[in-house]
Amino acid sequence: MEKTDLIYSEEMFKKAPQKLRDAETIRRPSIKYWPDVWRRLKQDKLAMVGLGLLIIMGIMSIVGPHISGFKYYEQDYSNINVKPNREYWFGTDELGRDLFARAWLGTRYSLIIGILAALIDLGIGVIYGGIAGMGSQRVDAIMMRIAEIIYSIPYMLVVILLTVVFSTAGSGTSMFVLILAMTITDWVPMANLVRGQVLQLRESEYSLAAESLGATNSWILRKHIIPNTMGPILVNVTLTIPRAIFAEATLGFLSLGLQAPKPSLGTLANDGIAGMPVGNFYQILVPSILISLIMFSFNVLGDGLRDAMDPRLRK
Amino acid sequence: MVEPLISVRNIKKYFNVGRGKLKAVDGISFDIYPGETFGLVGESGCGKSTVGRTIIRLYEPTDGKVFFSGENIYELSRSEMQEIRRNFQMIFQDPYASLNPRMTVEEIVGEPMEIHHVYKGHKKRNERVIELLKLVGLNEEHALRFPHEFSGGQRQRIGIARALALNPKFIVCDEPISALDVSIQAQVVNLLKSLQKELGLTYLFIAHDLSMVRYISDRVGVMYLGHMMEVASSEELYDNPLHPYTKALLSAIPIPDPEIQRNRHRIILEGDVPSPIDPKETCRFVDRCPYATARCREVVPKLRKVGEGHFVACLNI
Amino acid sequence: MEKLLEIKDLKVSFQTFFGEVEAVRGISLHVNKGETVALVGESGCGKSVTASSIMQLLPMPPAFYKGGEILFNGEDIVKKSEKEMQSIRGSEISMIFQDPMTSLNPTMKVGKQIVEGLVKHGKLSFREAEEKAIEMLDLVSVPQSEKRVRQYPHEFSGGMRQRVMIALAMVSNPQLLIADEPTTALDVTVQAQILDLMKSIQEKFGTSIILITHDLGVVADISDRIIVMYAGQLLEEGLVDEVFKEPRHPYTKKLLGSVPRLDMDRMEVLHSIHGTPPDLYIPPKGCPFFDRCDKAMVICKEHMPEREYHTDSHYSCCWLNHSMAKKVAEGSEV
Repeated sequence: MEKTDLIYSEEMFKKAPQKLRDAETIRRPSIKYWPDVWRRLKQDKLAMVGLGLLIIMGIMSIVGPHISGFKYYEQDYSNINVKPNREYWFGTDELGRDLFARAWLGTRYSLIIGILAALIDLGIGVIYGGIAGMGSQRVDAIMMRIAEIIYSIPYMLVVILLTVVFSTAGSGTSMFVLILAMTITDWVPMANLVRGQVLQLRESEYSLAAESLGATNSWILRKHIIPNTMGPILVNVTLTIPRAIFAEATLGFLSLGLQAPKPSLGTLANDGIAGMPVGNFYQILVPSILISLIMFSFNVLGDGLRDAMDPRLRK
Repeated sequence: MVEPLISVRNIKKYFNVGRGKLKAVDGISFDIYPGETFGLVGESGCGKSTVGRTIIRLYEPTDGKVFFSGENIYELSRSEMQEIRRNFQMIFQDPYASLNPRMTVEEIVGEPMEIHHVYKGHKKRNERVIELLKLVGLNEEHALRFPHEFSGGQRQRIGIARALALNPKFIVCDEPISALDVSIQAQVVNLLKSLQKELGLTYLFIAHDLSMVRYISDRVGVMYLGHMMEVASSEELYDNPLHPYTKALLSAIPIPDPEIQRNRHRIILEGDVPSPIDPKETCRFVDRCPYATARCREVVPKLRKVGEGHFVACLNI
Repeated sequence: MEKLLEIKDLKVSFQTFFGEVEAVRGISLHVNKGETVALVGESGCGKSVTASSIMQLLPMPPAFYKGGEILFNGEDIVKKSEKEMQSIRGSEISMIFQDPMTSLNPTMKVGKQIVEGLVKHGKLSFREAEEKAIEMLDLVSVPQSEKRVRQYPHEFSGGMRQRVMIALAMVSNPQLLIADEPTTALDVTVQAQILDLMKSIQEKFGTSIILITHDLGVVADISDRIIVMYAGQLLEEGLVDEVFKEPRHPYTKKLLGSVPRLDMDRMEVLHSIHGTPPDLYIPPKGCPFFDRCDKAMVICKEHMPEREYHTDSHYSCCWLNHSMAKKVAEGSEV
């Protein structure tokens, strides 16, 4: 066994010193969980488009109402129903108010309501689902039965009841009531998801290991189970937000939305309908397009996140 | 006479499954003495893992008593049990699943100390974590990494470090090497042996690899379908197996030596292991036993002494 | 002895986001007709990848053939198309896997699965197919075969399912059977049954078997030759008697020394190999066993040793075989 191009010396056959031999070091770079998810998400072009759109819309919702030069509530009767032009970038509505400012303010309120509602769903859902999942079979069964009953209440009914009970005379409801109405039944799917995850992860070996170390149920839930469910929960949140925004838009569309003159995308759409018979399509197009863009963006972002976190799709 | 550290008396663990009662453990009794390794062997479904978990009350027992230093731990309250738990720890089979993938090694090994509030601050706890890592052959730079970055053998060592954190007296090793490569198995077993010597530990070593169990255990118990079939010292069991099941089991294990293996006579057991759901009250081995008699179908044989430290549950011995 | 399968300098890698992982780094081996060759190694050494490469079952990306040939009856199957492979798989080369639960279709009756291939290729009528399925179940000693042929996999125990797998693999009487850890998931008494079955099938049909395993006992039981693989390369090969009695490579020696044996003295120490196999993302330049070998020399780190034949059939790849090594060792003893 001679390697033709190798010259052998005695030195080469001496024993190799200990420090040259290194059996325990890990050579690969450390992969942390969230940076890896982000890296995989970046590969999904569509999700990135969605993310980009959301960032743009978010920025616009903050600065938009201020840059047009008009206040959202300023009425100008000499300029009613003006089609989009140099002065009024999105045109004006039937009271002469600048639609550009109103649209972006409406986006701001819609986003806030949608995100807040989704976060409240998250909070209630995680706590409720966590307790149900960790509890005994009886506790679980009772809690889930209650949740089912709550969820089966038609939510429109609840909204109307609440708005009737809480609203001031005239048009619309306060933000607080709106959010309350939307979340009162909407937390159930999140609770279900969390409960399912908890039930599953409860049987995992590391949960069992923690139990053998003397950990209490709440410790296991907090330290072991919830961190490992963040993935599916996050995906659910990104998909709940568009649902909440659309729900708010629907309410606004049905005149159950925010008090005038505060605009939301839904109320703007409602207002915009009046413009259709006279050919002022821009009045309904603007809010509709914005709603669609928001929903689209959150949906593709949520889908992208789900794929990025799926261990089977790892590239 | 040395007092046993753990005395298991007639423990039973039944599970309710849709179509009946799964009698995973159906009346097991044995003692484990301080400083020894008691090996518990059997094939899949025999209940050995369940025994391990029931002894430390990870599963609530259906019946029986377990005495730890004279105290029946099944009668303790939840908070009393919490205290006692510091003395029993467990090492799990699957090194890939028994470590939380989102926690760093430091957090994993430090968890038991955190749960029991052993150290006041992070710093002291982390010092202890590093001490434990060194004890199992890892080092400081591994502390901030995540489980998935390690090999199976290294993960199992992390599991061992975690089990040692509270200075327990007794460790249940539930198939700790089954999921590891052959050369790594020896590594882990040698580590367990040296730790036992150094720290004075007592082990219940549950496994299905009889060759390995023979190597590490002082005494061995053979289980079949929820019952204990034979108990003897390691030497005695392998040199002089008495129960028909033990004999068949030993003859089935291949020896890594072609010449010897060629000339060995194998006792081939027909059929598969029957179901542990609602078993009949007979000797559990009766359907596959080459020596079964009519009596074996009427009575459940009890473990009785047939020699010094050697017990067999068979009517025909 | 006729060569049924010959692998020449096979290199298979995986493209991951880290970079390239070299799973198989230039291996050459052969399998003769009617013999059982055991490919032994620990997890990650590349033995399963090798087996899957023979069947072209690797997902291509991320896997890719970096080089080498796999000659089956003289033809290079690396070059064959998927369609051509489909006619080879199951009929000329078959494979059985470790976990019969996942390799059998849980929604299809067992009998149907066994003869599926034959029926699809139009070789059998429906009636003939059922008879054939029963015949196969009898061959693998599944009792009550007429009844069992209509049952579903979940109605069988682990050992029985593995027998079904063997029936499935043998139905077209393949020339080569690749068994990837066939008994690892089975209880030891069931394992004994399956090993006996495999032996009897080989005697009956003259099938060549490649047995992939890490269990040296299983190797000693049914293999004729043993090949030791480590980190994508072959370190030693020979007849089982040769290698078990006189292992030449330090890894083989350590491996044999780390396995507890029923017939060894209980007080004998089990030698473990410290450390873990190298990560093939940054494959070692020289001998892959360098980091864990206590006989390691300076040259071992930089250069991979070549084969040195001790007998016609027994070789090992180790610098200790080199005359220089002996010279230096003697020199230092003085």
